[in-house]
Amino acid sequence: MNLQQIQSKITSMEIDVLKAVQQRTLEKYTAGPSVEQTRLFFLLLPFLDGKQWSGKIEASAKTVSIVYAALHAHDQVKEDAPVTKKQQLTVLAGDFYSGIYYYMLTNLKNIPLIQRLATAIVHVSEKKASFYEDTIQSIADIDETVEVIETELLTAFYDFYGYDEYTPLAKLALNYLRYAEELECLQRDGQTHVLRLLKQSLQNDLHTENWLIDKLDHLHSQIVKCVNGYAFDYELKHFMLHQITPHQHRAEQLTREG
Amino acid sequence: MEKMKLKLLYSDLKPELEMIEKELEQAVDSNSHLLNDASLHLLQAGGKRIRPVFVLLAGKFGDYNIDVMKQVAVPLELIHMASLVHDDVIDDSEMRRGQLTVKAQWNNSVAMYTGDFILARALEYITKVDIPNIHEILSKTMIEVCRGEIIQIEDKYKLDQNMRDYLRRIKRKTALLISSSCELGALVSGTDEKTAAHLRRFGYFIGMSFQIIDDILDFTSTDEELGKPAGSDFIQGNITLPVLFARKDKEIYQLLKESLYKELTDEERLYIVQRIRKSPAIKESRAISERYLNKALKELAYLPKSTANKTMRNIAFFIGKRKF
Repeated sequence: MNLQQIQSKITSMEIDVLKAVQQRTLEKYTAGPSVEQTRLFFLLLPFLDGKQWSGKIEASAKTVSIVYAALHAHDQVKEDAPVTKKQQLTVLAGDFYSGIYYYMLTNLKNIPLIQRLATAIVHVSEKKASFYEDTIQSIADIDETVEVIETELLTAFYDFYGYDEYTPLAKLALNYLRYAEELECLQRDGQTHVLRLLKQSLQNDLHTENWLIDKLDHLHSQIVKCVNGYAFDYELKHFMLHQITPHQHRAEQLTREG
Repeated sequence: MEKMKLKLLYSDLKPELEMIEKELEQAVDSNSHLLNDASLHLLQAGGKRIRPVFVLLAGKFGDYNIDVMKQVAVPLELIHMASLVHDDVIDDSEMRRGQLTVKAQWNNSVAMYTGDFILARALEYITKVDIPNIHEILSKTMIEVCRGEIIQIEDKYKLDQNMRDYLRRIKRKTALLISSSCELGALVSGTDEKTAAHLRRFGYFIGMSFQIIDDILDFTSTDEELGKPAGSDFIQGNITLPVLFARKDKEIYQLLKESLYKELTDEERLYIVQRIRKSPAIKESRAISERYLNKALKELAYLPKSTANKTMRNIAFFIGKRKF
C-alpha cells in the first residue's frame, strides 16, 4: 500500500464513521463528532500491515472510533457556562453516539466486544475523574492517566482481536501526540488538566516545559526504535513516522526559539 | 409519603428489590473515590425503582428466576440513573429529589464522567445476557431516548407546537424505557411473544400516562413536594401538555408568550403556576393521561390473572392518581 492508499483508506473510514453518527440537530448546533485520523490509523494498522482482517473487524473498529467521539463530546461540556443549546446538545451527542456504538455492535452480534469496551470506558472515566480529585499526582501517576485516557479503548480492540503486538507502538505514539498537544498548549499559555497536574508535580512552568520537551524526545526515539522492530513495509513506516508522529528534537526547538 | 404508598403496592417484591439495591451499589463500585461518591450520592437519593419493578413483574409471567431477572433489572435502572445525571447538566438543575444534583455537589465534568461510568457499568452488566434480541431492543431504546431529548431541546420555547409533537417527545423521553423494561423482563423470563407484546404495550401506555402526570404535577405540586420550584419545566422552556391546553385561553396564551423569554421573579412564576392550576388544562391533561391508563389496563386484561397482574394494575391506578 502506498502513502496515498493509506491516506485514502483512513479517509474512507472517517466518512463511514461520520455517516454512522449523523444527526441533523447535533450537526447544526454542536462541533460535531471528533473522529481523529491518527486514531483511525491505529485502528486500521493491523489491516495496513497485512494482518487478517474482515468486514466485521472493520465495522467493530469503526465503533471504537465512535466511542472515542462519545467520550470526547462529554469532555467539551463547559463549567459555569450559560445553558445554551450547544452545551445541552453536546451532552446529548455523547449519549447518542454511545447508543449508536451499542446498536452497531449488537447488529454485528459482537456482544463480547461491547463488554470489553464498556470496561475500557469505566477505566477511562475513572482516570478523567481523577483530574478533579484533591490529590497531587506523581509524574508516574500522570503518565498512567494520560496513557489510559489515550489508549485504553484502542488496546481493548487490539486485545480482543489478538492484535496485541501493536499495543506498545500505539501507546508510545498516542502518548506522544497527547504530550505534543500539551506542550503546544503550554507554549500558548493555555491551561489543561494535564498541565495543571504536571505543574503541581514539577512545581513550575519552566520545569514543565523542559519535562515535556524531554518526554517528547524520549518518546520519539522509542517510537523510531519500536517501528524498526516491526516488519512494516517502507511506505507504512514512512507514513507512521512522518504523517502520524512528526517530530522536532530539543535542539531544533532551541534553534527555532533562537 | 407517596413514594412509600407506591412501594407498598409492590411489597411482595421487597426481598428481590433489596437484592437489586445491593447489586446497584456493587455495580457502581469504582477505583475512583470521586465516581464512587457521586454514584452513591445518586443511588442514595432513592427513587421509585419503577423500571426494575416492571422488569420483575413482567418476569412473573414467564419462568421467573431472580438471578436472571436482575441481569436486566439492574442495568435498566443504571441506564436511567446515568441519564438523570446528564439531564441535570442539560437543565442546569441544582436539586433532584430534594438533594443536590451531582453537577451541583461537584461540577459538570464530574457529572458527565459519572454518567459515562454508570452507563458503561450498565453495559458491562447487561452483556452477561446472551439474548441478541435484548440488546437490539435496549440499544434502539437508548438511541430513541436521546432522539427524544434532542427533539425536546429543539421544541423548547415553541409555544405553537401541537399535541402530536408533545406525545412523540414523551414517548421517546419516558415511555420507551418503561416499555422496554416490561418487554425485556418478559423476554429474559422466556414468555411467549404475545405475552411480551402485551407487556411492552402496557409499559408504553403506562409510561405515557406517567409522564403526563409528571407534567401536571409540575404545576399542581408545591416547591417542597417537588423538591424543586413548581413550574420549573415551563421556566426551562418545556412546553408540556397542561401548557398546550392552557394556551387555548387567550389571556393565558399571552401571559405564557410574554413569560417564555424573560427571567421570571418567584412571584411571576407562581402566578403562572396558579393560572394554569386554576384553568381547565389540568383536568383536560388528566383525561388524556387516563386514556393511556385505560389502554394499559386493557393490555393487562389479555394476560393471565395473577398476583403480578394485580400489582401492575394497582401501580397503574396509583400512577393515575399520584400526588407527586
